[in-house]
Amino acid sequence: MITFRHCITIAVTLGLAVPSAGAQDTTRGKAVYEACIVCHKLDPKSTDQGPTLVGVIGRRSGALDDFRYSRAIVRANIVWDESTLDAYLADPQSYIVGMRMPFGGIPDKAERADLIAYLKTLR
Amino acid sequence: MATTLKEREVVIVGGGLSAGLIARKLVPLGRDVLVLERGAPRSGSESQLPSQRDELRWGIQRGLVQRENVETYTLRHAPEETALPMRRLLSFLPGFGVGGGASHWNGQTWRFQTTDYILRSHLEQRYGKAAIPSDMTVQDWGIRYEDLELYYTLFEKLFGISGKAGNIKGVKQEGGNPFEPWRAEEFPLPPLEPSEAGLIFKAAVEKLGYKPFPMPAANASRAYTNPDGMKLGACQYCGHCERFVCEANAKASPDQLLFPFIADKPNFELRTHAEALLINYDKADRRVTGVTYIDTQTGEEFTQPASTIVLGSYVLSNTRLLLLSGIGEPYDPRTGKGVVGKNYCYQTISGVSVFFEDRYINPFMGAGAYGMVIDEFNNDHFDHSGLGFFGGAFINATITNGRPITTRALPPATPRWGSAWKAANAKWYLRSFNISCHGTSYSHRSNCMDLDPDYRDAYGRPLLRIAFDFPENDLKMSLFVTQKAHDIAKATGATIVGTPAPRRGPYDSRIYQSTHNTGGTIIGADRPTSVVSPHLQSWDAQNLFITGASVFPQNSGYNPTGAVGALGLRLADDLVSYLERPRFL
Repeated sequence: MITFRHCITIAVTLGLAVPSAGAQDTTRGKAVYEACIVCHKLDPKSTDQGPTLVGVIGRRSGALDDFRYSRAIVRANIVWDESTLDAYLADPQSYIVGMRMPFGGIPDKAERADLIAYLKTLR
Repeated sequence: MATTLKEREVVIVGGGLSAGLIARKLVPLGRDVLVLERGAPRSGSESQLPSQRDELRWGIQRGLVQRENVETYTLRHAPEETALPMRRLLSFLPGFGVGGGASHWNGQTWRFQTTDYILRSHLEQRYGKAAIPSDMTVQDWGIRYEDLELYYTLFEKLFGISGKAGNIKGVKQEGGNPFEPWRAEEFPLPPLEPSEAGLIFKAAVEKLGYKPFPMPAANASRAYTNPDGMKLGACQYCGHCERFVCEANAKASPDQLLFPFIADKPNFELRTHAEALLINYDKADRRVTGVTYIDTQTGEEFTQPASTIVLGSYVLSNTRLLLLSGIGEPYDPRTGKGVVGKNYCYQTISGVSVFFEDRYINPFMGAGAYGMVIDEFNNDHFDHSGLGFFGGAFINATITNGRPITTRALPPATPRWGSAWKAANAKWYLRSFNISCHGTSYSHRSNCMDLDPDYRDAYGRPLLRIAFDFPENDLKMSLFVTQKAHDIAKATGATIVGTPAPRRGPYDSRIYQSTHNTGGTIIGADRPTSVVSPHLQSWDAQNLFITGASVFPQNSGYNPTGAVGALGLRLADDLVSYLERPRFL
């Protein structure tokens, strides 16, 4: 379990902004990830339904060779980082119009932050 | 000439719900299990976005359903008539491929009522023996709801059912179904979000003094992990459930939750493209010895010896395989003797549409079991004295879908074509819904199945011949419940209330009603009245078990999948005991 203090330390070390709502918690983020896991399996080779999210941070949208992305995701041509993921996960269909992921989004900002913190641990 | 393969311990015919529920129990205990499935695994375009949502391919052309050019059924309305083949399977949709019907289902998941299991003795006790028409061949199951309660609970947990309990261990629960048979626990997931149609329906029925509740749904309201560690995503209300594979992995199905749990075990095999032709039966020894099947990709025939066989294929296939294999005495509607093919039942569906100038229903936001329901007029929940019929229906407003090709809710007197038709479509698509009645189907002496003398399938075997029409009892029932639905429709404050459409005969196999065919290999307390024992064991072969809706002696007002699930899980436990010490259970 990563404590609040550790999060601050990591964030400061990495030079990231700490959101005012409180520190991200990868344990809570892992719980939020339960909404994703049925399609985005943790096995890095799995493209069963959705592309793997192992190593997603820093990856360009639509970059994996072995997954058939929608044109919208490829054309979006963005790099998945904290801010793009946050905007995308808040309302996926609006952020990238025409993308195919059947998921309504995560309205709660703190939950998104926790999830993104967890995604960073997937390497 | 069939090639004989190495013997397997348990062979299950049909890779659907029953096979999945049985295999998930037996395989971890080390039992050797082989499932023979006639269709393909669910790994093609039916389960891949964006092709998954192709209404033409999966909805209209019925891509996940049995192909009529390989096997269909012949139909007649009475045993005296000559049957003709159904050239298109439109009225019901027998599953094809891993998961079967429970892969392309809507997800409406009910527990049968306590009285369903003891129907004849219940009706006799309440209304007297003389009240039951002589041609109504309903019977008791030989098991009670109490024998199945724990299996219903387990099934709901395995499939992550979303709902609100109405009766936990005899204590009534606010917001649930007050007529619900008692349950040990609350549903594993909360109900789906209410729909606009559901809210309109709720307000109307409350005004009339009824108790509405959300329909129990296998469309997961939240992401869910079942007791086996298998997962579901959350329903996205896309309205592509029935006839489709769920794109969000939110609809519980065997291919999502049951087979993957054991897929990598060395003592489990799911053999696809294996169409069972015959159960090999040693009549003298009263045992089955194996299954002869054809590899539909190569045309090769194989005999698969087995020490125990489970028939878990579709209702109609279970019955047909018994008839083709000469197991048990075929039913004769003239004499009433014999049991195989007896008590074919269906579902008696009717409804009335409502149209609103000022409300947006937005039917494109739907899910298979996205409904609000009342149960006051179902089964024997109301006094039938003097009504001249038995049974009933749940009445519901369920937004299963608003798919573009088939959603055509048009008020009465709309022209059938032209610009006025187009304008009405555009106007009412968003502003209408159907209040429907999902009614009982009670067995009748002349509704039955046998082998057709004239028509054969692609493999040269006689087709199954169905004799069915809605019995007078069910038509009267439908008239009664549809009147209640009409009263509710008027109470919604709709701008236009459609013409109530109670079910009328003759049965029309060109119109989709439901895939709730039941009967043919019925369960019962004794050999003369049933095909299988209360433990689903064939009376004619000790090592043959039969499960699924083919064992229902009559059909309840509820959708059958919950009851099929409970039976399958109970059989799994019975098989554990049987395999340790084979005997008549």
